[in-house]
Amino acid sequence: MSAETEAAKPGVKRRDFLKVVGATTVATTAMGCSSERVEKLIPYLVSPDETVPGVSTYYSTTCRECSAGCGVVAETRDGRAIKLEGNPEHPLNRGALCAKGQSALQGLYNPDRYRTPMIRKNGRLVAATWDEALTLFRQKLTETRGAAANAVFINRHESGNFPSFLNTWLASQGMPAALSIDPDIDHAAIAANKQSYGVAWPRLNFSAARLIISFGADFLDGWGANVPQQLDFADARAKLETAPRLIYVGARRSLTGLNADHWINARPGSELAIVQMLGGSVTAQQASQASGVDVAALTELQREFAAARPAMVLAGGASPRGMELCLAANALNQSAGGGATIGSSSGINGFEGIDSPSQLRAVAQRMQAGAVPLLMTRGVNPAYTMPKSSGFAAAMAKVPFKVSFSSIPDETSALADLVLPDNHSLESWGDAEPVRGTLSLQQPVMDPIFDTRATADVLASLGTAGATYRDIMIGRFPGGATGLAAALPRGIASGSTSVLVPRVAPAPVVGQPGNGDFFLMVYPSPLLGTGDGANKPWLQELPDPVTKIAWQTVAEIHPSTAARLGVENGDHVTVETVAGRLTLPAYVYLGIRPDTVAVAAGRGHSEAAGRYARAGHNAFDLLPYSEDRSGATSYSFAKAKVTKDGGFSRLVTTEGSARQHGRGIGQAMTLAELAQPQAHESHGEYPGDASHEFLPGLRSPTANDAQGDLGDKGEESKEKGMYDPKHWSGMAKHRWAMTVDLARCTGCSACVTACYAENNIPTVGADWQGPKFMPDRTGFGANITRSREMAWLRLERYFEGGEDGSANFDTRFVPMLCQHCGNAPCEPVCPVYATYHAPDGLNVQVYNRCVGTRYCSNNCPYKVRYFNWFGYGEPARAQYAFPEPLNWQLNPDVTVRGKGVMEKCTFCVQRIRDAENRASLEKRGLEPDEFTTACAEACPSRAITFGDAADERWTVAKLAHDKRAYHVFEELNTFTAVVYLKKVNHPGAAATAAAATAPATSGGH
Amino acid sequence: MKSKRKWLAIPGFLALAAAAATLSAYAGASSSEGNAPAQPVAFPHTLHAGGNLKMNCIYCHYSAGKSPDPGLPAVGTCMGCHTTVAIDKPEIKKLAGFWQRKEPVPWVRVHKLPEYVHFPHMRHVNAGVSCQECHGQIQNMAVVYQQNSLNMGWCINCHIGRSNPQFKARYDCATCHY
Repeated sequence: MSAETEAAKPGVKRRDFLKVVGATTVATTAMGCSSERVEKLIPYLVSPDETVPGVSTYYSTTCRECSAGCGVVAETRDGRAIKLEGNPEHPLNRGALCAKGQSALQGLYNPDRYRTPMIRKNGRLVAATWDEALTLFRQKLTETRGAAANAVFINRHESGNFPSFLNTWLASQGMPAALSIDPDIDHAAIAANKQSYGVAWPRLNFSAARLIISFGADFLDGWGANVPQQLDFADARAKLETAPRLIYVGARRSLTGLNADHWINARPGSELAIVQMLGGSVTAQQASQASGVDVAALTELQREFAAARPAMVLAGGASPRGMELCLAANALNQSAGGGATIGSSSGINGFEGIDSPSQLRAVAQRMQAGAVPLLMTRGVNPAYTMPKSSGFAAAMAKVPFKVSFSSIPDETSALADLVLPDNHSLESWGDAEPVRGTLSLQQPVMDPIFDTRATADVLASLGTAGATYRDIMIGRFPGGATGLAAALPRGIASGSTSVLVPRVAPAPVVGQPGNGDFFLMVYPSPLLGTGDGANKPWLQELPDPVTKIAWQTVAEIHPSTAARLGVENGDHVTVETVAGRLTLPAYVYLGIRPDTVAVAAGRGHSEAAGRYARAGHNAFDLLPYSEDRSGATSYSFAKAKVTKDGGFSRLVTTEGSARQHGRGIGQAMTLAELAQPQAHESHGEYPGDASHEFLPGLRSPTANDAQGDLGDKGEESKEKGMYDPKHWSGMAKHRWAMTVDLARCTGCSACVTACYAENNIPTVGADWQGPKFMPDRTGFGANITRSREMAWLRLERYFEGGEDGSANFDTRFVPMLCQHCGNAPCEPVCPVYATYHAPDGLNVQVYNRCVGTRYCSNNCPYKVRYFNWFGYGEPARAQYAFPEPLNWQLNPDVTVRGKGVMEKCTFCVQRIRDAENRASLEKRGLEPDEFTTACAEACPSRAITFGDAADERWTVAKLAHDKRAYHVFEELNTFTAVVYLKKVNHPGAAATAAAATAPATSGGH
Repeated sequence: MKSKRKWLAIPGFLALAAAAATLSAYAGASSSEGNAPAQPVAFPHTLHAGGNLKMNCIYCHYSAGKSPDPGLPAVGTCMGCHTTVAIDKPEIKKLAGFWQRKEPVPWVRVHKLPEYVHFPHMRHVNAGVSCQECHGQIQNMAVVYQQNSLNMGWCINCHIGRSNPQFKARYDCATCHY
């Protein structure tokens, strides 16, 4: 060190100064970390076969976060699952995975999970042993034997063999078959599909359509199965010239609505009139009267629909006439699509056999009458998902004995007398039938974390067979144990299971909408569904793709309504219906009708549902209970009064502005512009710009940091060391780069969660993580109100047009991450050399050099650097983001950052190094497209491509020179490594004609 | 005014440099070099890796050639021989005790890099770097101790090929720090 000290004399050069300070930083940090603490190395007792310590093992299994049954590959390291990715061979999700699916890990490692069986003693649930619990369960089964026919088992709907296994067991106890419930599903659509197409969920062939009209069918938000629908939709849109145009009809622009080229803002519940108009049974005037949309717009729709063949018509039923709407839409689709867009082939087999929510209401009535002696629930939470007005939770008190098989506490299990916690699906055996004739196998990817047991095993042990469910599964599988073992690596096998037959829905209960100036729209959150996701911090922290709100429940109102009420973002409004009232912060949203107020469901659980689920408010409390003909709960039919309340809460939002202010971050072009021959214009040199020597690949100037090999060639050295492409290390031969196709991106945000999971990004929004002494900055999301979220990758959402409050606006979704600039503004301002440009094109952040000046973040034009303010990764701190056992999920390949350190997207450098290590072990070079980043891997619209832009064989090298390619803030000369491909808009014929006469304003920036 | 500021800045730099030098020296001294903790079972590398047996390191540290993690022998691996070999020795009795109680041996870690450093063993082993290059002459250590500082400068010396040109490797920060 002394040599460096000598160099630090007056007139010291930046680099010499850095050497001293930098070395000190390293040394002092090392002192704290490596010396004093005694660490143990715990070996295996007996070394398991097939595993190598420090190398991941992958298990194929099935995602159980929704009923679709996508295939996942669980990466495990030293016996712990650390990452979930889509199974590329699976017919549904084809390698992609949504945010919800990825968050299954936080269900597995949820700190609030039941750790043992629980028995209610003196009014409280207390921990018990399995022996005690099973003895009690057996005793209660015996006691209810006489009235067993009245016992009720409510099971979370799933396809596969488990339901029939369960029903066989129930039959052996003299009990009726279980109710198979999926609260997130659009039951009206399923019932209508069954009638129109003969299957619960036909395959939606977006690519075949020229025009798609969605009547509140939010196929990107959770209507059906997101991932396969998004894959198909993105493929259709990626056809550019021949891509289908999407028109969305509904009172609120959902994520699907924002992806539409045109929005017709019809009143809630009036969609049926427009479908009928397109079908010819109603005139445009009548439809206009019902929907509040002007006749001209409807006539134009009529004309466009008549001209576009084949067309696809989809409808979502959340209104009291939901099933009629879906049936009418299906009929229209059959005539306009000619079977090409939606045929009778089954799309998602997992949706077969779901019982209607009205069955739960009927159970509630029976419970209320004291007719149910025993209630068993598994994986469902009707005490929350059934609106208070349905009386379900209250009626549970009338049941003498309630058993819950829930693995995570929720409102329903909190009311139980006995909890026999199930294993998490990642700890259990099972199967699903996602596509007819194909089984998706489910296997445990790790040992159970807690003292839980798979419900299937518990029931098997109570039966006569005495076998485990795994034995039963092997017995049933063709080829037995060897056959199953051979099929498990792929995770899929051919085979079929008996399909459940849904019960006939009881006569619907029709609720009163009440009075009020507003239509109330309650909608299942695209991330939290009807509440399942609320106990997972990743999903709470992930901003809603539409509103960009996290950890909070808001009342969405139109700007003109807000002006009329005299409220701005965050001002409290009281929403009151016949069923209840909630005081919520207002969120002013352009994409909603002025006479409608919308509230997302899924948040606001009771204390019982754990530390994270309490955030926000429960929108179901506002719903008067009502059903449509199919038995589906009506989410948008009530009238509400909205009044200003004095209070104010800061919005927990990650959004700075919904407008681009001419910055051209998310750019778009129209079809007409796409057809024009001129290529992407690349700027030349700017005046005053220094001349550059460029590295191979995307233009990237040879780093200013370039130094001679040993740095001892004297100050005059012109040698560039590793920055020379001819250097022996070969590092500068690579230029890691990414393209993001905005024509594909739907804004779903699965990439963001993938990034959290891969890179150990802490969530910061839990109430205990925020400040304690700032009254307006406490509670859930407090850190986010101070812009202290840590999302290395965020999804920006911008609106273009509609400044006057009109419905005619365009949305741009832009995944924004570190651009890995070739000429990065963050690098020269770092006083300690913690951020610099690596020869392979990465903008590197060296955590152990960083002293937290935040100059880099100030100088970053993209605002993609995040400062760790509170040591979210340090267990001793109050702000710790990974309470045991959530920390089991942490990726051992990525440093968990400490307090006072700047962090940002690394382009998944650990994956680059891993691929290089593998290639080196196999004595070969990197193969094109052999690996990718976590965000690209998860992306269900295949918008993100990562690779080496300096190697022509990689896909990214071709895409980076696409006609639509642009760099964000290109004028800053940052030479970014992230290349965006412009979104392509499909304006209607009328808009195109108007644009031809007047100069276009919609394209460009 | 301007020149006054300049004169203040230079002593400031000097003070900083002095502080840095002191801290660096202190940090160097406090490296865990020489660390030789007592182990729950006094495993003699001298007998196994040295002496007459001269067992290959990879026999026990079985993943050093294929994983970032070198691997620790499972208790079962030890018991492969020690159900018959030297069963009367007190240390072997201790080992057998662990085996019978089905407990892993809680070895105390000797070589430890900070969490922000990634050291892939297999890259080094496959490049022909011998175990002794970093760990010292383990086969001669009755009690294993840390012979080298394992500080960054020590790593870099090898990566730039100063100690042995054939071992030169990338020395970019993000080779190890991420």
